[in-house]
Amino acid sequence: MNIDAKYHPTPEQLEGFAQGTLSPGMNVVISAHVELCAICRKSVSELEEAASEEWLRSTPDRRASSINFSAMIDSIVDHPQIKGDRTTADSVSEIHMLDHSVTLPRALAKVASDGLVWRQLAGGINQATVTLDGQTQCEFLYMKPGSQVPVHKHQGNEVTLVLDGSFEDELGHYKPGDFVVRTAKDLHRPASEEGCLCFAVMDSPLTFTKGLARLLNPFIRYRFRRATSAAAH
Amino acid sequence: MEDVVSGAGSVIMGSLVNKKSLKKPTTPPAPRVASDGSDSDEQLLIAVGNHQDRAAFNALFSRFSNKIYAMGMKLTRNEQLSHDLVQEAMLTVWQKAPLYDLDRGTAQSWIFTLTRNRCFDILRKMKRQPATVSADDIWPQESDIDSQLVHEEEGTMEVEVSKIQSFYGQLPAAQRAVVEQIYIHDRTHEEAAAVLEIPLGTLKSRLRLGVGKLRQMVGTEV
Ligand SMILES: [Zn+2]
Repeated sequence: MNIDAKYHPTPEQLEGFAQGTLSPGMNVVISAHVELCAICRKSVSELEEAASEEWLRSTPDRRASSINFSAMIDSIVDHPQIKGDRTTADSVSEIHMLDHSVTLPRALAKVASDGLVWRQLAGGINQATVTLDGQTQCEFLYMKPGSQVPVHKHQGNEVTLVLDGSFEDELGHYKPGDFVVRTAKDLHRPASEEGCLCFAVMDSPLTFTKGLARLLNPFIRYRFRRATSAAAH
Repeated sequence: MEDVVSGAGSVIMGSLVNKKSLKKPTTPPAPRVASDGSDSDEQLLIAVGNHQDRAAFNALFSRFSNKIYAMGMKLTRNEQLSHDLVQEAMLTVWQKAPLYDLDRGTAQSWIFTLTRNRCFDILRKMKRQPATVSADDIWPQESDIDSQLVHEEEGTMEVEVSKIQSFYGQLPAAQRAVVEQIYIHDRTHEEAAAVLEIPLGTLKSRLRLGVGKLRQMVGTEV
């Protein structure tokens, strides 16, 4: 699947993805974009080459004396090798929306395979939260046609990948494959005229700044803390 | 506002060639490994893949095991886990060597990516993160093995918005009126006190009571 996306991850995000230094949540959303975007796929394989150079160059040539290497090699070569590529069928690869279904990138299909619980939020927004790690908050968001997210600020960064439909804010109009990055400084008000399915990853919880949504603030923080401590104990 | 939207046009490099062909290698049969250590990593890897060459695997092992161990120490700071990483990464090298071909890039990059992936899975286990996605789901060029699906029970901590709205309806009328002014009509304390024609102190205490009750109701639900 290839899509001509207009908005891509930052070079730093792609580098972290190639080096393996990002959180699982951030890896998943970048992986989903990379699967859709040939330009970023090429960048990632170049960044992997560069990371491997750096890895070999910067590592001191010192053996870990505690390892019994010949025993390890003996146990490894007893294993059979894999002769052909296997393709695995994902248990879920589509999300069914009201009148049609949306095919998901591989990593997101895996995320959704445990089942999504959709909840209605104010303003025509439906949210299905998934827990991938203790550092991020991840969710599928479905914005009904004509819906609007309450004005909110981020404490950290928010990344949104459009999967179906489109949404817009003060800065642009975002279509499937687009990877939208917002920083803590931004106060924004996304809206969707035609309806939109997204996957969003935040590295800290949302802070709504207006309206009934403000009532939710303590509960959102609470949920995040609980999820964090559950993942870390 | 220059860093608000990142990426538009910022990562466009070169042409759109998809190198991740999954076809078997079209490379000619590799010669057996030279004993003087002059083989390239690619020749060694292909020898391991084409005829389970033990000498070639030994050579790869001595070239890479300490690098893998160092990556493990850097990321986990744990000798046992780093030892496990060497075992798992070199096992993957052995098992997947038949799938390697030159279209997949250099051998060192190939070994780097599968080490990175095993390390990701080890770290995820160490941090007891949910096993929903494994490295092989995230970096799919290395996705040939069926990854085992481990389902860990994760309680859901969410509170439905509709519930909060129904809790809100259960508040005593005086407190509900105050909460409504502040949270729905978005008025300041002073404005709300004026609208409701009550003293500011009364408003604040009703607000405190009302929000306290809401939190209690939510707390017993979670
Ligand atoms: Zn891209």
